[in-house]
Amino acid sequence: MDNAAKIFPASLDSLEPIRDHVSAKCEALGFNKKKTYGLCLAIDEIATNIINYGYPQAGIGLGIIELLMADEGKQLTVTLIDTAVAFNPLNHLVPNQEDMNKPLEDRPIGGLGILLAQQNVDEFRYERRGDQNCNVFVVNAAS
Amino acid sequence: MGFNITSEIIEGVAKLTLSGSLDSSSASMMQTEIQKVATQAPIALVLYVSELEFMASAGLRMLIFAKQKLGTAVQIYIVQPQGQIVDTLQMTGIIHSVHIVDNYPA
Repeated sequence: MDNAAKIFPASLDSLEPIRDHVSAKCEALGFNKKKTYGLCLAIDEIATNIINYGYPQAGIGLGIIELLMADEGKQLTVTLIDTAVAFNPLNHLVPNQEDMNKPLEDRPIGGLGILLAQQNVDEFRYERRGDQNCNVFVVNAAS
Repeated sequence: MGFNITSEIIEGVAKLTLSGSLDSSSASMMQTEIQKVATQAPIALVLYVSELEFMASAGLRMLIFAKQKLGTAVQIYIVQPQGQIVDTLQMTGIIHSVHIVDNYPA
């Protein structure tokens, strides 16, 4: 499988194809099911934010999400690129331990996706490059 | 893979069977089923998820929605979730607010 960039319409219908694309790469690299699932979940959460909030807030009807993958040894780096409003997920509040101990009906709904994105990969970082949001996910097969 | 959900109420217990991928594109289907069973004021909500292969935070929000919609007294049972879904429930602390079981009734 090559590492060429792949473009997806920024639509909820793209979530499953994005996961399938990443999953196929993980399989080719011999990642186990837990690693593969975690990476797919992390990417799904950030892509969902881009689709549901990023492009609508930018007033862009149907944007695109570019997906880049690069592997070196047993490490896979996936980058999601969009041109929606600038948004650094790492600056967003995520549920803390106090929130997690609350009864379900009292739980805040926001931030769960970003929490899952952070917790399901070995490294998650955000970079702003010109008018692009770049969300970078790194997974090590051996860790 | 897609997503499928069916619902029924048997002896006051709402039973939802989920399969496939529960993400932001499919969560509205689950919301519809929760709203449907809520009209009959069930005493418990049981989710059969052995064939649910993926659940994003949109699915977690549906659990919160169900609790808010059905009332705090209504217990939520999750039957035979796959390991990765248990991990997600654990990471977010939601596992403390639901019952993970092998069968319902036990």
